[in-house]
Amino acid sequence: MRSIAVALAVARKDLVSEWRSRELVPALAQFVVLALVIANFGFQIDSRSAPAIAPGVLWLALVFAGLLAFGRAFAAEKEQASLEQVILTSAPPAAIFAGKALAAAALLVLCEAVLLPALALFFGTPLSIALAAAVFLATIGMAALGCMFAAMVAQLRAREVMLPLLTLPLWIPFIVAGGQAVQVMMGGGNSYGQALWLLIDFDILFVVLTSLAARFVLDE
Amino acid sequence: MNRYLVAAAAAVALMLAAAAFIFFFAPTDALQGPVQRIFYLHVSSAIAAFVSFAVVVVGSVAYLWRESIVGDRVARSAALVGVVFTTVTLVMGMMWAKPIWGTFWTWDARLTSTLVLWIIYAGYLLVRRLAAPGRQAARFAAVVGIFGFVDVPVVYFSVTWWRTVHPGPVISTDALPPEMLFTFLFTMACTLVLAAVMIAIRYRIEALSDAQPQSQFVLQAAQRPTS
Repeated sequence: MRSIAVALAVARKDLVSEWRSRELVPALAQFVVLALVIANFGFQIDSRSAPAIAPGVLWLALVFAGLLAFGRAFAAEKEQASLEQVILTSAPPAAIFAGKALAAAALLVLCEAVLLPALALFFGTPLSIALAAAVFLATIGMAALGCMFAAMVAQLRAREVMLPLLTLPLWIPFIVAGGQAVQVMMGGGNSYGQALWLLIDFDILFVVLTSLAARFVLDE
Repeated sequence: MNRYLVAAAAAVALMLAAAAFIFFFAPTDALQGPVQRIFYLHVSSAIAAFVSFAVVVVGSVAYLWRESIVGDRVARSAALVGVVFTTVTLVMGMMWAKPIWGTFWTWDARLTSTLVLWIIYAGYLLVRRLAAPGRQAARFAAVVGIFGFVDVPVVYFSVTWWRTVHPGPVISTDALPPEMLFTFLFTMACTLVLAAVMIAIRYRIEALSDAQPQSQFVLQAAQRPTS
């Protein structure tokens, strides 16, 4: 029970601090829209090619927005030297970590709330609950992994370079399964349910693994 | 001659013997011709890479559990050797793919997952270099080493989970004639010996560099602080 309270308190602290400064979410929202604009020039998008390219653009924009969001989650703590103080309290590291991951995932969901409608608007793709569900399920696992590596690289040199290097390879399962689900929603096919279950499996696996590892990453 | 030189010479001799079997004993493949002989070293080095990464996991768990410096050194050594063998697997696979598939690379599940494996453990080596030496480097690398191993079963089962152009298992399905099977098993055994010798020599290098006066301070920091 105490762990849950700690996690919620940490998440609340991060969200309140974001609400007061309003730094990250507007920047992320602008970033994903910009990513769509760049994709337009990179792929020469027209109404025929849009449905085939849209899923790829969605995941690329989401992955890089995620790297920014998770990187900030711990970099800000490191700059203010507040991470040490949070760790010095008697709160269990796994709970602190879960709170940070929860807050970062919430920010990324906000950013998806801009990305998905923007994609529907600019690329003419269908917008549905099922699509949002697949993206949301992928976000959970990506947040767990992203936050763990962000906590790690915040303490390394060259953190901006190392975060994508460590995180992207392990995000691939979510992009494979999520990409499959999104392609089904946007193009057709019938393996949506299977992809969704795969996403849930990966979520459980990586949430458990990262909470076990939190102790070793958040321990100075 | 010290025992490391003897072991290295023995490993080289074994690999030469394996080469002799590959080129003079194993029959030429009826469909693919001589290029199929890549198979023996290609698959053997993939297995050696998997075993090396399994050693990384064992060493990493030993470090996280008991703060065992030995475990950390074993993981460090095995990660490097694993990356080397993954490189060999990828390069030989590409050389084989060009004449048979007509292209060096295709985004096949097994090829892709093997490339990801290479990237993950190359990242492991980078973490070692970029983290503060000692306790932090050891702990972070151990976490990366354990998480990265998730990809090994993906590589192994990729040919059964997805439809791929890469051939599936040939040993368990009894697809090889006895001469080819013997050559393969012999090459695999030799490659595993080579990997073990490489890990042992690398371990010695790591131990010696840990014994440098400036490393002593870092090593003490790697142990759990007395509190």
